[in-house]
Amino acid sequence: MELTIKLNGVTHSLTCDAGDSLLDVLRREGCFSVRYGSETGETGAAAVLLDGRLISADVLLAAQADGHVVTTVESLNVATGEMDPIQEAFVETGALQSGYSAGAMVLATKALLERGPDPTDDQIRDALSGILDRETGYTKVIEAVRRAAAVLRGEKPDPMEPLVVESLSGNLELAETLPPLGLDVSPAVPRLVTSPDVPETAVVGKPEHKVEALRLVKGNAAFADDIELRGMLHAKVLRSPHAHARIVAIDDSQARALPGVHAVVHHANTPRVKYASGGQSWPNPRPHDEVSFDDKVRYVGDRVAAVAAESPEIAEEACRLIKVSYAVLPAVLDAKSALAEGAPVIHDESDTVGIFDAAHNISHHIEGQTVSDVEMDAAFARADHVFETTFEVQQMQHTPIEPHATIGWLDEDERLVLRSSTQVPFHIRRMLAPLLGLPVKAIRIIKPRMGGGFGSKQEMVIEDIVGHLVLATRRPVRLVLNREEEFISTRTRHSQTLTYRTGVTSDGHLVAQDLRVLSSTGAYGTHGFTVNSLTGARGLSLYNCPAKRFSCDVAYTNRPVAGAFRGYGAPQAFFGLESQMEDISRALHLDPVAFRRMNWVQSGDALDILPRLGERGGVVEEIAPEDLPHVTTCGLEECVAQGLRAIGWHRREDPLWKQPPDRPHIRRGIGLALCMQGSGIPFVDMGACSIKINDDGSFNLLVGAADLGTGADTVFAQIAADVLGVATDDILVYSGDTDFTPFDVGAYASSTTYISGMAVKKAAEAARVRIVERAARLLRVDADEIVLRDRRAWALDGQSISMGDIALNALHTEDQEQIMGTASHWSTESPAPFAAQLAEIEVDVDTGQITVNKLVMAVDCGVAINPVTASGQVEGGMVQALGYALSEETLLDDLGRPLNARFGPYWIFRSDDTPTMEVFLVQTMEASGPFGAKSIAEIVIDAVAPAVRNAVLDATGVTIDAIPFTPERVWRALHPQPTVDL
Amino acid sequence: MMKRISAYSRPESIGEAFACLDGPGAVLIGGGTKLNGRTSSEPMSVVDLQVAGLDGIERLDAGTLRIGATTTLQQLVDSEDVPAVVREAARRELPSTLRAQSTLGGAVVSADRESELLAALLVHDAVVFVARPGGTDKMGLEALLAHLPLASHDIVTAVAIDTAGTASVARVARTQADKPIVVAAVRVGADGRRRLALAGVASAPVLVEEEDELDPPGDFRGSGEYRRAMAAVLISRAIEGVS
Repeated sequence: MELTIKLNGVTHSLTCDAGDSLLDVLRREGCFSVRYGSETGETGAAAVLLDGRLISADVLLAAQADGHVVTTVESLNVATGEMDPIQEAFVETGALQSGYSAGAMVLATKALLERGPDPTDDQIRDALSGILDRETGYTKVIEAVRRAAAVLRGEKPDPMEPLVVESLSGNLELAETLPPLGLDVSPAVPRLVTSPDVPETAVVGKPEHKVEALRLVKGNAAFADDIELRGMLHAKVLRSPHAHARIVAIDDSQARALPGVHAVVHHANTPRVKYASGGQSWPNPRPHDEVSFDDKVRYVGDRVAAVAAESPEIAEEACRLIKVSYAVLPAVLDAKSALAEGAPVIHDESDTVGIFDAAHNISHHIEGQTVSDVEMDAAFARADHVFETTFEVQQMQHTPIEPHATIGWLDEDERLVLRSSTQVPFHIRRMLAPLLGLPVKAIRIIKPRMGGGFGSKQEMVIEDIVGHLVLATRRPVRLVLNREEEFISTRTRHSQTLTYRTGVTSDGHLVAQDLRVLSSTGAYGTHGFTVNSLTGARGLSLYNCPAKRFSCDVAYTNRPVAGAFRGYGAPQAFFGLESQMEDISRALHLDPVAFRRMNWVQSGDALDILPRLGERGGVVEEIAPEDLPHVTTCGLEECVAQGLRAIGWHRREDPLWKQPPDRPHIRRGIGLALCMQGSGIPFVDMGACSIKINDDGSFNLLVGAADLGTGADTVFAQIAADVLGVATDDILVYSGDTDFTPFDVGAYASSTTYISGMAVKKAAEAARVRIVERAARLLRVDADEIVLRDRRAWALDGQSISMGDIALNALHTEDQEQIMGTASHWSTESPAPFAAQLAEIEVDVDTGQITVNKLVMAVDCGVAINPVTASGQVEGGMVQALGYALSEETLLDDLGRPLNARFGPYWIFRSDDTPTMEVFLVQTMEASGPFGAKSIAEIVIDAVAPAVRNAVLDATGVTIDAIPFTPERVWRALHPQPTVDL
Repeated sequence: MMKRISAYSRPESIGEAFACLDGPGAVLIGGGTKLNGRTSSEPMSVVDLQVAGLDGIERLDAGTLRIGATTTLQQLVDSEDVPAVVREAARRELPSTLRAQSTLGGAVVSADRESELLAALLVHDAVVFVARPGGTDKMGLEALLAHLPLASHDIVTAVAIDTAGTASVARVARTQADKPIVVAAVRVGADGRRRLALAGVASAPVLVEEEDELDPPGDFRGSGEYRRAMAAVLISRAIEGVS
C-alpha cells in the first residue's frame, strides 16, 4: 500500500505491506536509530515521536502512521560532528552505556521538554517508563534529562565531576553516627573516596566522555543489524515444542518448495561435530555435548532446523512447513528430580565425552577444600556453634535490549565473515571453524558496537547457524533472535540450592565453612563447571576461616540452558553467605558489622580456596602458604564505613522510623551485605593491543577486547592518552575484529580493564619509547629528559615539539618508521575488588510487598579509570541485581513450556520503579593493574539480594531464604500457616 | 514476527466501519498495541478507528462524563475532567509509549484480568456504548466484560462514567510500577452507595460486595489463595481511603 508520512520534516511517499510495522519501514528508510527490542512494544528501543508523542514503532503499523508526522533522532543530526543540547546532556552525564536505545531516550526527553521546561523527577521517570534500560540503572539518564532541561532554560550546569568525599579511615563507629553527606548533590554523581597512594594523572581518573558517544547519541548505524547487504537472506530457527524428545523424522520438502526459500538445515544435512557453546579459552571445558543440529531436543526452544529465505515472513512460513515427527520423552525440570534414581537420561548419546555421570544427569561434580575431611570434622567439633541453612536461588535471564544478532557473508576471497553481537569474537572464530569444516583462517569475526550482553553473548548461540546458512546459500544471511527466543534459547543464570554449614566460636570467629551446592545447567553443560566452581571460590573467600570445603553437583535438566551471567556464580554464593552471616550475628548477639569485620579478609590474607577451584582443574596437593594467592589491596573497611553513613545505619535503632505510626502495615529496615569478585582469570586470560601514530599525532588503538557497552573502549583511550601525553579523543579505538586487531579472550570474568587495559598501557609505553627517542633527537637532548604532555614532547629547558611534527618526521622525513607499539598481557594475579551493599526497604506486612527505597554501594575497584562510567556500571548492576532479588525468574509450566518469556510477565525494573541509588568509589592502588585499577563490572551485581533479605529481617524479624522475594513468598513467610496446595 | 495482516482500512465514520467489517478476517484496532504485537495464523484485515470520530471527552451533565472509545490512555491521564482515581489507573495501566497509543476502547475489549483501569471504571458505574448496524446499545461495563468477545460488527464507541463522589484504590504488585496482582477500587457515589471492584481475582475485573466469596484462579504471580487473602486486605484499605 501507499503511504505519506512527514518524516523528520520531509514528506515521504512510501510503499509498504499492510502488515509492516513503522519500525520495519523506518529502518528501510535508513533511520537506524529506531531499533528492535521486542515485537510487543515494552522495550521502547523502537520509540519515535508520532505527532510529537513518544510511541513504540514496533507495535504501530506503518499504515497507522499514514498522514502523520514522524520524528526520529536523525532529525536532530543536522551538522556533522555536532550535537543537539539534549544529545550533549546525555554524553556529559554518562547516560550512555551501549546506547542501543539512546535515540529513543533523546526523543523522550525532547517530547517531555516541549511540554514544559522544568519537569519534576516523577514526570521524567514517567516519560522514560516506556524505554527499558538494562544497563544504566536510569540514574544518569534521569540526570541527563534534568541537565538538558536546565541547558534549554538557559542555565549552565556544572560539569559532571565526581564529588570527592573524605576518607573515614574505616572508622565504623564514627560512620554510624555521622550525618549523610552531599544531600544536595545529584545521586548520579559518583562519590569518590580518594587515597594518598594514588598518584596524580592527566587523563586517567577523569570523567572523560565516551569515545563513541557521538555515534550512539545520534543513533548512527553502529550495531550488528544496522547494515543491509545486497541479496541478504533472512534466517529463522524452528524450535522444539517439547522439553525432551527424539526427532524421528524431518520432512523439509514443503519448506524447500516454498518460493523464496534458499536453504533448510537440520540434523540430517549438517555434520555432527560436538562442541561446548561457552566462549572460553582453548581447550574449552568439557563436556562437549552440543551439535549445531541434533536428532534429539532437550528443552522447549531447542534448535530443530533453520531456514534462510528472502524475507523473515517467508522464513517463518517455511519453518511452519517443516514436518517433524517427535518421539516425546519424559522430562525433568529441576535439578533434584534430574538426579533421582530412574530419571530420564538427558544425554544418552554415545559421542559426548567428559560428562561426569551421564546416566544420572550429572554434568559436573566439583570439589575443593583447604583441609582434609578429617580436619574438617575436627574443625566443626571445635566450634561452639554450628549453623546450617539451605538457600534457593532461581534461574534468570540477561535480557540485553539488543538481542543476539549476526549477519554473515562470503567476502571477495570467499572467506566467511560474521558481523556479530558477541563478547568473544576470537573464541567464536576458533570454535566455529570445526563446526563448519573450515580452517580458522577462512573465518573473520567482526564485533561491531554491542547493545549489552551480560554474559549471554559469551556463548556461541547463533553464529554457527548463520555460518551453515551462508555456506549453504553463498548469500549474505541475517539472523536476529526475537524476544521470546532471547528469553528461552540463549542463556540464563544457574539456579542453585546452596547449603552453608558454618562453625563459629562463641566470640564470633569462623572455624569451619562447608558449602554444598546443587545446580541446574539446563539442557547443556557449557559454563557449568566454571560458574559453579566460582560459586565456591567466591562463597568461601570473603572471610578468613581455617577449614573450608566446597562440593557441587551440576545437573542436566530439560530447562533453558544456563551459562555465563555477570557475577558468574557469585550472586548465588553471596545470597547464601551474607544471609547466613547476618543470622549468625543475630543468634550470637553480635553486631552484624563487628562480626563481619572480625572475620573479613584484609590485605595480605590468603585466598586459600582459589587454587582448589581453578579453571584448569583444582589443585589437590598441599600448597605452601607463600604460593597461595593473597589479597593485594582491600578497601572493604572504608566501603563499609561510607555505606553505613550514606544509608543512615543508625536508624535501625529508631523504633519510630522502623514502624511509622501513621502507616500501621509498614515496617522499615536496613540491610548490609558484603561481596568481592576477581579481575580476570589468572594464568588464563590474555589481552593484546597495538597502537600506531598518524600524521596529525593521533593514534589508532587496535585491541581485541569487546566493549559490551560498559565503556571499555573509553577506558583504553584514557589509558593510552595518559601514557602518550595526548587527549582521549586523539585515540581512535577499534576493537574486536579478528582480522584487524590482536587477540583477546574477550569481555568476561571482569578482565577487560585489568588485563586488556594493561596490554593497552604496555603497547602505549612501547610507542612512547619510539616517540621519546625521536623527540630527543629532534630537540637535541637526552631521551630521559623528555616529558610527553598536552600533545607535545617537552625538554627540561622548555623546548617542545608537537606530536604531529614528530609523526610527520617519522613517517615522511628522516629515518622513517611507523611509530607503533604492540603488547600482550596476562597475569598471575586476579586482584579482588570489594564492596559493601546497603539497602533501605519497606515491607507491607499485610500484602508482603517489598519496596526498596534506596540502594547504596561502596566499591573498592582500585583506581577508577573513569569515575562516571564506573559508577554507571554500579548503578546498572544494582538494578539488574534488584530484579534478581524481587521480580525476575525464568518460569516454566509442568511440560517445560515458558510461562513468562516476555517483558511484563518477566519484570525488569523501569525508570519509574527504580529506587534512588548512591555510589561510592573507594580508591585503592592496585600495583598489578593499569594505573592502579581492579575490576568493577561484575561485583556490582553480587549483593543486592542478601542486602534486601537482611533488611527484611531487620524490619520484620523474619528470615526468607529463597529469591525472588515476590509478595506472596514474603506474605507466606510473615503469615505462616498450614501448607495449602497452590 | 508474523503478523499476517493482509489489508488495512481507515473508515471515516461508524457506517464506513461497519462496511469494512464485512470482509473476512476483519479486526478493529484502536491504538493497535495489542494486536500488532501478536502473531496470528489467519490473515487479518485491520480496521483502524483513528478517524472514525470516536475521540473526545465530553461532560454530559454535572456528574457524567462521556469518553470516546479512541481516546488514548494518555489523554485520560491528561484530562482534568476525568476523576483522579481513573487518571492514575490509566497512567499505571501502561508505560509512557504504549499509553500514548492504546485507547480506552481497546482496554475495555481486551479485558485484562488485572486491569486497574477497568476496576476504576467499574466503580465509576461505567456504561459502554456499543454501536451495531441496527443502532447503539448501552451496557454496563461489568455486563460487557462478561460477554466478550463482542459480535463481529459490534463497535465500542464510548464509555460514560459517573464522576461524582469519592474514590480510592489499593493494590499489591511485585514492584511499584508492575501491574497489580490484585487491586481493589471503591467509590462512594453522590447517592451515598458504595461500589467495590476487584481486578486479579477472576477472568476479568468484577464488581463485588464486601462479603462475596471469591475463588480466584492463580498463576505465577500469585496463587488463588493469596489473591483471595489480598482481596480482603485491599478492599478494607480502599474503603479506609474513602472514609
